[in-house]
Amino acid sequence: MIKRAMVAMITLCTALLVTLPVHANDLDRFAGLSGDLKIAGGTAHIPVVKEAAKRIMTLNPNIRITIAGGGSGAGIKQVGEGLIDIGNSGRRPSSKEIGTYGLALHKWAIDGVAVVVNPANAVTALTKDQLGRIFSGEITNWKELGGNDRGINLYTRDESSGTRSVFWKKALNKGDIALSANFVVSNGAMKTAVANDPSAIGYMSAGFVDQRLTPVVLDGVTPDAASIRNGSYKVARGLFSNTRGEASGLSRQFIDFLLSDQGQAIVKEKGFIPVK
Amino acid sequence: MSALVCCLLVLLILGFMIVTGLPLFGQSQAMDLLTGAWSPRNNLYGIAPMILGTLWISLLSVTISFPMSLGCAAYISVLGGHKKATVMKGCVQMMTGIPTIIYGFVGVFLLVPLIRETAGRGSGMCILSASLVLAVLIAPTMILFFIQSFDRVPRSWLDAVDALGGSRVQKLVYVVLPACVKGIVTGTVLSFGRALGDTLVALMIAGNAVQTPNSLLDSARTLTSHIALVSAADFESMEFKSIFLCGAVLYLITAVVILGARLIEKRGNHE
Amino acid sequence: MNRWGEKAVYALSVISCMMLFGSVATLLCYLLIKGLPALNLGLIFGSTPVGDALLLKRQVFDGIFPAMAGTLALILLAITIAVPLGLLAGIYMAEYSGRFTRNVFGFLFDLLSGIPSIVVGLFGFSAILFLHHHVSEALVPSLLVSALSLAFLVLPYIVKTTQMALETVPRQTRVTGLALGATKLQNIVFCLIPESFSTILGGIILAVGRCAEDTAVIMLTGAVASAGLPNSLFKGFEALPFYIYYISSQYADQAELNQGFGACIVLLLICATLFILAAIIQRKVKHTLLYRH
Repeated sequence: MIKRAMVAMITLCTALLVTLPVHANDLDRFAGLSGDLKIAGGTAHIPVVKEAAKRIMTLNPNIRITIAGGGSGAGIKQVGEGLIDIGNSGRRPSSKEIGTYGLALHKWAIDGVAVVVNPANAVTALTKDQLGRIFSGEITNWKELGGNDRGINLYTRDESSGTRSVFWKKALNKGDIALSANFVVSNGAMKTAVANDPSAIGYMSAGFVDQRLTPVVLDGVTPDAASIRNGSYKVARGLFSNTRGEASGLSRQFIDFLLSDQGQAIVKEKGFIPVK
Repeated sequence: MSALVCCLLVLLILGFMIVTGLPLFGQSQAMDLLTGAWSPRNNLYGIAPMILGTLWISLLSVTISFPMSLGCAAYISVLGGHKKATVMKGCVQMMTGIPTIIYGFVGVFLLVPLIRETAGRGSGMCILSASLVLAVLIAPTMILFFIQSFDRVPRSWLDAVDALGGSRVQKLVYVVLPACVKGIVTGTVLSFGRALGDTLVALMIAGNAVQTPNSLLDSARTLTSHIALVSAADFESMEFKSIFLCGAVLYLITAVVILGARLIEKRGNHE
Repeated sequence: MNRWGEKAVYALSVISCMMLFGSVATLLCYLLIKGLPALNLGLIFGSTPVGDALLLKRQVFDGIFPAMAGTLALILLAITIAVPLGLLAGIYMAEYSGRFTRNVFGFLFDLLSGIPSIVVGLFGFSAILFLHHHVSEALVPSLLVSALSLAFLVLPYIVKTTQMALETVPRQTRVTGLALGATKLQNIVFCLIPESFSTILGGIILAVGRCAEDTAVIMLTGAVASAGLPNSLFKGFEALPFYIYYISSQYADQAELNQGFGACIVLLLICATLFILAAIIQRKVKHTLLYRH
C-alpha cells in the first residue's frame, strides 16, 4: 500500500517537474502585474475561469480576480455598460450587441448543450421532435416515451442564458417552452436540480455532465467530446469572453492565458473542447 | 437633524421608483404590464403571474401559520404553566434569529424531496413547499405579537376569572381572545407583510415558473424572486422597468399593510 | 362550554406548539447531522495552512474564510454607518420631536422597516447604476454599496430601539438632571443615554445579526461567487449567506454540499451568539424590533 502510494507520489512529482516549466511560462505573463479584474456572465465558463483565477492569484497575490454568474445576457450587458472587465457569454453576441457596445469577442472553448435526465430515468434517447413536444408541454408523462409512469418535470433557464438561446435555436428549432417549466439560475443549478429530481429533464453545458445525471442521446448522437468536436452533435456553441473595445491590460493577459497551452489544458480538464 | 435625513431617504426611494417607473405609466403600458404575461421573446413583460404567485404563497403561509401561532401563543401566555412558558418564549425568541437562508437551504434538501415523493407528481418545488417553510419562518414573529397583545389584558380581568372558579381554557376563550381581537388581526397583517417581502425562501423552493398557478403543487414565482432573477444592467431595457414595477408594487402593498395595521391599532386604543 | 370542548382547545394548542417546535427541531437536527462532519479547519481554510491564511500570506481558495471575512467587513461597515445616524434619529424622535412629527416620522420608519429587503437591494443597485452612468465609470456594485444598503435596512431597528429605550426611562431619573441645572442636551448625554445604554446596545447587536444573515440585499449590490479576502470598498466581495445560497443551487460534488451544510452551521452559530449576547445585555428582548425581513 505504502509502496504504491510512494510510486504514485514519485510519478506525480516527475509529471509535475516535466510539465512545470511549460506552465510557468504561460503564467509568467502575470509576473509584476497588479490590479483588479472583474469577470461575470456565462455560468458554463465558471469552472475554467475559477481554476485559471486560482492559479494566477496563487502566483501573484497582487492580482485580484472576482467572478460572478448572471448568465450570458447579463455578462454582455454588464461589460457593455462598463460594470465589469470581461463579460462571458455562452453564445456569440448578436451583431446588435457587438455594434451597440463595441465588443471584442474571444472564443476559447467549444461546448455542447446536452439534454439531461436523472440517472433513474429509463428514457435515455430522444428525437428532436420528441424533445420539442416535451418542452412545449405536449408530452407530459415519461410513460408516453417508454419510461415509468411519472409526470415530466421541465427545467429551464431564464432569457439571459446563452445555453437557453443555443438550445432553443438548435434543439427546439425556436419552439415554445411550456410556462410550467421550473427556472434555475445557472448550469450548476441545472445539474443540481436534475440530479435530485427523478422525473426531471433539462439542458445544460455538456462540460458540466458527470455521473450524477444522464446525457440524452439526441437523434442517435451522444453529446460527448468526440461528437461535439467533429460536428455530428449539432447543439453546440463557443464559449466567449467579451471585452468592450479591444482587450488590454489584465483582461488581455487573462484571455491570452486562457488561450495558452496551460489555459487550454484547463479547458480540457474541465470537460470542454479546446479551440487550439 | 438626522431623523430628517432618514425620512428624506424613505421619500427618496419612493420618488426614485416613481420617476424611473414614470415612463411606464405614461405609455399606458402599465396596465399591460400589471396584467400581462412574461415572455421577453415576444416582447411581453407583464408581471401578473408574479403578483398572483406572491399572493398565493404569502396568503397560504399565513393561513398555515395563523392557527399554529395562535395555539402556541395561547399555550405560552394562558394555558401552560409559568416555568414552561418562560422557557418556550425564550425558544420562540431565539427562532426569530435563525437566518432565512438556513430555512431555505434545509427546505431545498429536506422538504422538497419529501413533498415530491408524497405528492407523486411535480418537482416538489411548488407553492405548497414554499408556504410551509414560510409558515414556520413567520410563526415566531406572529407568536410574539400575539403574546404581547395577550399580556396587555388587564390583570384584574384575569383575576376575576380565577375568583369565579373559571378554568384556564375558559379564561382564554371568554376573556383573553375577545379582548385581543385587534391585536391578533394586527399581528396577522404584519406577518402577512413579512411573508410577502421574503425573497430567499420562494426563490429557492417555489420553482420560479412564470405560469399563473392553478394548484398548490404548481411551481410559481414571486415578485421578490423575480427581482432577484431578472438581471438587467441598464435603465432603458424593458426588463429593468419591469423589475422596477415589481419593486413599486411590493412597496405599495407593504405601505398598505403597515397603514392598515396602524389604523387597527389606533382604533383599539380609543376604545 | 363543556368538558370536551375545553379538552379540545387545550389539545389543539398543545398540538400547535408541537408542530412548530417539532419542525424547527427537525430543521436544526438535520442541519447538525449533515453539517457536523464537515465542521473542521478545512471547511474554513481549505488547503491553505491556517497560519498563512490568518497572516494573509496566502489566499484561501476552497474554504469559507474569505466569505467570513467579507461578512465581517460588511457588518462593521454597515453598523458604523447606521449606528450614529440611527442613534441621532432615535434621540430626536424621543426627545425633540413634536406630536405631529413623531407620528409622521414614526409611520415613515415603520414603512421603512417594512420594505422587503430585496427592494432595498434594488434601490441600491439602481442608485449605483445611475451614478455609474452619470458620475463616474469607476462606480460599480461593491462592498460599500452593499454596506450602505444594509445600513439603510437596519436603520429603523436602531432608531426604534433608541427611541423606546429613551422613552421608557423613569420620570424621576429624567427630571433629576434637569432639576440640578443640566441643559437638555447634557441631560440626554449624561443621564438618559447611560441609563438606557444596555437596551440600545442590545438593539445594535440584533441589527448586527440582521446584517450577518441578509442575502437579498447583497446579492443585488455586490456579492460575488469568488473574490478572495475583501481589500477595498469599491470592489465585489464574498459573504457567508451568499455563499450558502450559491452552494445550495450549484454545488459541484458531495464535498462542496457538505461544505454548504458546514457553512450553515457557522452562520447559525454566529447569529445565535449575537442573539444570546443581545438577550443577556438587554435581559428582555423587545421583539417588535425583530419584525422585519
